[in-house]
Amino acid sequence: MATKELTLPIEKRETTGTSATHALRRDGKIPGVLYGHGAAPMHLAVEARAFDDLLHHGGRTGVITLTLDGKKADTALVRALDRDPLSHKVAHVDLQRVSAHEAVHAKLPVTTVGVARGVKDFGGVMDVLVHEVEIEGPVDQLPDHLEIDVTVLGIHQHATAANIALPKGFKLLTAADTIVVSVEASKTAQHLEEAASGAAIEQSTPEVIGAKPEA
Amino acid sequence: MLTPKRVKWRRVHRGRMTGRALRGSTLTFGEFGLQALEPCWMTNRQIEAARIAMTRHIKRGGKVWIKVFPDKPVTKKPAEVRMGAGKGNPEFWVAVVRPGRVLFELAGVEASVAKEALRLAAAKLPIGTKIVSREEASA
Repeated sequence: MATKELTLPIEKRETTGTSATHALRRDGKIPGVLYGHGAAPMHLAVEARAFDDLLHHGGRTGVITLTLDGKKADTALVRALDRDPLSHKVAHVDLQRVSAHEAVHAKLPVTTVGVARGVKDFGGVMDVLVHEVEIEGPVDQLPDHLEIDVTVLGIHQHATAANIALPKGFKLLTAADTIVVSVEASKTAQHLEEAASGAAIEQSTPEVIGAKPEA
Repeated sequence: MLTPKRVKWRRVHRGRMTGRALRGSTLTFGEFGLQALEPCWMTNRQIEAARIAMTRHIKRGGKVWIKVFPDKPVTKKPAEVRMGAGKGNPEFWVAVVRPGRVLFELAGVEASVAKEALRLAAAKLPIGTKIVSREEASA
């Protein structure tokens, strides 16, 4: 949950399409869209630096106050971010209109707390299988992330979504029996032995599907 | 070494390596990954060398994912053979890598160990790469 009020100046965008959005990005802006509450969607642009700053201060899950020409325009939640796969710069942002105490669905990242017993005492490997879970709750109390305690996990044990500590007033939408974290024995040493013995190096000619057998 | 078990065709056309990776450009399993910055044909030997470099460095613990598979056969004609008379024999297998593709992922080790392991793996590859982390990707 963001500790201070998040504000983001937006400007209306009249032009759409590839060329127009490329031109916007060249000018240091991010194209986006604002939708929700049954109103017509609005194409908008935000300053890239201001938006990055906002993301670093809890803007990914916090309620953002949008200002248009210096006046409060709406409150919104960042719904989706498109990023450039190489530069990781935000290429497009989806904002959803929300009111102050509305209940919303959100996918939040899960972080592990502590070191698993199986890792600390038995040299196992902790595998985080699910990095995000979906929850429902009041929008003004959405946390930045959810925490799961893994300290009690031994080798071949796992923690499910039901073990995630949810803030008061929130409901888990992801199936409660979804395995989030598991601890397994390390296979790295075994791989190393295989490589050393040459077992993994043998190369065979693959079978050709539908080929007639040679006479 | 990675090779397909069954193939539909023994020999395939060369194809093109233009553009960027359309999929497989984000971290899916691990905490750290190695992302390609250039296009290339990555051979199964190079993939294997990188994997061994990584697993040797992390020694115990940790988990490695190889996110590219060499499914394209490359043919070669024998030395001192005149042109023509059909396409050459399949010699090795490659994975077609485009910029942005996450090649390897790592989890279950400390950040410093993971980064060093990925640096060693990068040295075995024919292209420029960068190390990406889940933390940076979400920031």
